[in-house]
Amino acid sequence: MNDSKTGNITEEIAAYRMPLFRLALLQLRDEAAADDATQEALLAALESHTRFEGRSSLKTWLISILRFKVLDIIRANKRTLNASSLTALGDELDVSVFDVLFEENGCWTEPKDAWSDPQSHVEQLQFFKILDACLTKLPPLTARAFLMREWLELTPDETCSQIGVSAGNLRVILYRARMQLRHCLDLTWDRN
Amino acid sequence: MTANNKITCKDTTWLVSDARERELNIEEKAALRAHIEQCELCQGASKQFEVLFRQLDALLGKSENR
Repeated sequence: MNDSKTGNITEEIAAYRMPLFRLALLQLRDEAAADDATQEALLAALESHTRFEGRSSLKTWLISILRFKVLDIIRANKRTLNASSLTALGDELDVSVFDVLFEENGCWTEPKDAWSDPQSHVEQLQFFKILDACLTKLPPLTARAFLMREWLELTPDETCSQIGVSAGNLRVILYRARMQLRHCLDLTWDRN
Repeated sequence: MTANNKITCKDTTWLVSDARERELNIEEKAALRAHIEQCELCQGASKQFEVLFRQLDALLGKSENR
């Protein structure tokens, strides 16, 4: 790899600092820890960028490196949620917010138009950007639990004990996350 | 839930979410398939969920058996 190419990828990697930081923050809820994880992930990426094969997008590759850093922090740090975050749990378990999407008889109130499935690299990056923004709008506990399952791939048991909820509550939280993400994307993603 | 049990659109959204967490049982799969087959609204919604899940997997680098 020649110098100009190395220079480019260094800049490209650095440009993802904020999205990576925001993702780490969603999971860790602690700015210093999120900053550490991001910093370590960026350094690791810069050291090993020659191993990036371009099979996934650069963003996906960086997120997979960040995943290990965040997992290390979560596993090293056994503290459970503080009381103030627990008081918010009731709100995050309330699925009645989606009642407005359904009729009394449980039917959708509105037709659901097909989304265009991002095909090109550029379209996918646009979709990722919107998905990022929608993830950021999830309530705090919901985002943590959802990303523990979908990103960190903790087991359901581990997720329950990290978040301090029952299996039944976790099911509700994950349902809410998926419903809210679908709704958020439906409002923002250009349809066919 | 029995195979004869009709489910609502709202019920299908729960099953679609549960299916990301665990394998649905035979009755659940049958009820889900039967409902979606005859419900245009749910066909649209399921396609949206499919795109959402596929792109989430792509963004977060989720593998089948990591």
